[in-house]
Amino acid sequence: MGNELQEIDLLNQVNDEAAASASRALSKLIDRPVDVGISKANVKRVEDLSPLIGREEVVAGIYLPVTGDIKGAALLIFPKETAFTLSDLLVRREPGTTRELAELDKSALKEVGNIISGSYLTVLSNVLQIKIVEHIPNFSFDMFGAIVSQIITEFAQKTENALVIELEFLFKPETLKGYFLLLFEVEQLKAMLGSCGGGVENLLC
Amino acid sequence: MIFQRVLRTTEMSDSDIEVHMGDIAVMKGAHNLITSGVGSCLVITLYDPKLQIGALAHTMVPSSAKRETEYGQCLSACLSSKTSSDGQACLVAERVSTKTKDTKYVDVAIDQMLKGLEAKGAKRQDLEAKLIGGANMFSSIASDDIGKDNVLSAKDKLKAEGIRIVGECVGGSQGRSVEFSPTTGIVTVKVKF
Repeated sequence: MGNELQEIDLLNQVNDEAAASASRALSKLIDRPVDVGISKANVKRVEDLSPLIGREEVVAGIYLPVTGDIKGAALLIFPKETAFTLSDLLVRREPGTTRELAELDKSALKEVGNIISGSYLTVLSNVLQIKIVEHIPNFSFDMFGAIVSQIITEFAQKTENALVIELEFLFKPETLKGYFLLLFEVEQLKAMLGSCGGGVENLLC
Repeated sequence: MIFQRVLRTTEMSDSDIEVHMGDIAVMKGAHNLITSGVGSCLVITLYDPKLQIGALAHTMVPSSAKRETEYGQCLSACLSSKTSSDGQACLVAERVSTKTKDTKYVDVAIDQMLKGLEAKGAKRQDLEAKLIGGANMFSSIASDDIGKDNVLSAKDKLKAEGIRIVGECVGGSQGRSVEFSPTTGIVTVKVKF
């Protein structure tokens, strides 16, 4: 649904720019190259969010509620090993040291969430000329399915479809991955894409 | 013991049937019903020990009532704005009608499970319910606890339908995976830590 729509194409262009900004921020933070793997924006049923990771795989999830002209959620996902490696880098431990996440690690990872989400949303806000407010990060270290479904459920209460933006970060030299998901209420989509000059009436309701 | 807690990864065998988020399954036979990564969602199992049949729902949100009202308003708006195409209006109307059967809602899922089980001969007074899930994965967000609402909604609905709750593993801030045997009624809950 929606792939062929001009509005989504337009959003994908904005997405590319925002993704590049977010990856630069992450790269600076951990002082190593970060590539953007998958980068796509789409409208889909909230239940059909693509399974990026196995539902039972343990991940660190950093969730930031988003309000302002558009309401939504930003969710940063790091698989367990990525979270441990990032903690080593952020807290300046020997590589391979972190085997569980202490409060300091969680705090550092939340800050990563803040920075990535902030740099992405700043681009989105500037290009679309809309006000976006990012709230304080919340942290969970548990099954991917349980974490992501809570965010999906928040949306399922309010809306049928969500605008889903998915980003995949690849860290070098290790083949580590991180995922950034942005969801916006579909009712807000009209306003958001309207700012780009596109009509999305046939998407809504 | 009502629940077995084991610390291992779910290994799905050929005889397992996975129930996805928002879906229900009604089963008689040797296949286990499994569902994984349950956070704020609520898994509801119904079991008839006499007939040895069971049903499992992986629900997401408490009640369909509010949503239907919103859809009604949305439909009116769409119908008035989309006068150019009858096809579009019909499409919207059809989606509204399918919404009333949406098993992602706790109340609708319980209704549909009861329908399925009664069609197979189960009697309401024999049924035993178990509830699993309803966690809050981000415990720092206390204001909007959908998990808790899901549990309360299920308890209210089951009480109204006259169905006993014989076990529950709900709340907290932990993800769960569930395996349910419709033959024995045994529910196995798995956690990661």
